[in-house]
Amino acid sequence: MGTNVVAPQIVQALQVLTILLGAPLVSGVISHIEGRLQGRRGPRILQPYFDIAKLFRKETLVTNESSWVFLAGPIVAFGCYLIVPLLIPVLTTYGLPLGYMGDILGGAFILALAGFAVAMASAESGAPYAQLGASRAMTFGALIEPTILFVVFAVALITSTDLPYALAATVRSSSSEMVRPGHVLAAIAFFLVVLVDTGRIPVETHSGTLEFGMIDEARTLEHSGPPLALLKWGSAMKQLILYTVLINVFVAPWGLASTGNLGSVLLAIPALLGKAMVLGTIFAVIDNLFSKLRLFKVTEFIAAAFLLSFLAVLVFFAGGG
Amino acid sequence: MSHVPSTYAGVTDVVAVLVLLTEFAMLRAPFLRSQVRLYQFQSLVVTALAVFVAASRHIDELYVLAALSFALKVVLVPRLVLRLLRDADVDLAGSSVLGVTSMILIAIGVSAFGVLVVGSLRVRSAALPASALAIATAVVLVAFVLIILRADVVSQAIGFFSLENGVSVASLVLAAGLPLVVGVAFLFDLLVAVVVFGVIMRVHHGRAQTLSTSDLDRLKG
Repeated sequence: MGTNVVAPQIVQALQVLTILLGAPLVSGVISHIEGRLQGRRGPRILQPYFDIAKLFRKETLVTNESSWVFLAGPIVAFGCYLIVPLLIPVLTTYGLPLGYMGDILGGAFILALAGFAVAMASAESGAPYAQLGASRAMTFGALIEPTILFVVFAVALITSTDLPYALAATVRSSSSEMVRPGHVLAAIAFFLVVLVDTGRIPVETHSGTLEFGMIDEARTLEHSGPPLALLKWGSAMKQLILYTVLINVFVAPWGLASTGNLGSVLLAIPALLGKAMVLGTIFAVIDNLFSKLRLFKVTEFIAAAFLLSFLAVLVFFAGGG
Repeated sequence: MSHVPSTYAGVTDVVAVLVLLTEFAMLRAPFLRSQVRLYQFQSLVVTALAVFVAASRHIDELYVLAALSFALKVVLVPRLVLRLLRDADVDLAGSSVLGVTSMILIAIGVSAFGVLVVGSLRVRSAALPASALAIATAVVLVAFVLIILRADVVSQAIGFFSLENGVSVASLVLAAGLPLVVGVAFLFDLLVAVVVFGVIMRVHHGRAQTLSTSDLDRLKG
């Protein structure tokens, strides 16, 4: 304590900035590693920044059929992604002033609102593939929702609250908390949720250009220029937000700042990004090991995730966990 | 709610959950061969539980039971079933009445029923982890679902064998001091079941040229 204690408001702003500016870096590292795993040289690590900068300089094209919703959607979604980092433990172990605005469900609702805004925008485009992507994304989003709810229930049973900070604190408190079957099942279920929500391999090839298998990717087909940049940036941020929740709430809530000390807050930023890159590497390896499921088999994958989260809750009711 | 279970309870819970998960995986497994492999894995986990209970409770008889169950359930039974499958040489993929997702959802409901029923019995004691009993009940019920919903002889046999695994988990956790004779009798029960199911498989395949039981409801005349 003493001279270089940072005000909580500044730490909170730093949380948002970390997600905002770190997200393209994490995406870049993942696609670089992916390229390496596939025997390619892979794009530069900073490539996502260049892509976003390039798109911001381009003009915006709008189809004749679409209204203002088409352009507002990406902005609303981007705003949502800026709000969520206020609610989750990105850099600190202690709750920040605005951290108690909403619980995990609140964060999930805001993420869902972002998904809704993007879906509305792509439905407005009048293009068949964008609409197909929007409809698929909403369908699978609705199917994965029960799993998210049961993961939250499991968290609530562990901590008697559903604040993400509380679970992170519980996990940090002892190593036996980490290996409780209820916690492990909920963590694996949430891992599968992240796979579905970030559009990774068993569900979707995120780098493919084949429209038939597209879900999330297809939604942005009609956008161009700055709105497309916002969508790309937003999906990178969504990915980092989900990684952060998985890492800092469920799996490895270490390396976070426990005081407002400037040094430890600044150290928490590379710690988070490093952990996110390790997690991203795991996702890249999964991408390489498995093949994409047929679209109608995705429900089986989601059923498996639901099974795990349900068992997590069930184990608690059985008296164990 | 947030009391952390002891190591003993934790390990038994993990094993029980693993057994339940393999039971679900059997329900989902498209190939009969992979179903047998899953049964093998499940039996291995149950054997490991027997060794763990023997070591932590100092019951030497359980080592004998673990060795027997390893020889029988991990080595012998899967080999026999796989050999029968190789001889039958048809329908590598089993048939089922419902789609995978619906089967999983039904099994989830059934296992929740089992856990809640056992939970309402209030068998609580400081020494015994009651959660493992509840989950073992769920295993037995899901095995029933497997037997009912998969329409081929192999799945039904594997469902029956894995039901015995669920019972083993319950007996290991709740009645670890069970006399060895009783435990061995369970295993020989299983052996008899293997012989019976082997005969059924052979006879059914000999008559119908298939392992699926869905042909059995056709009228004979």
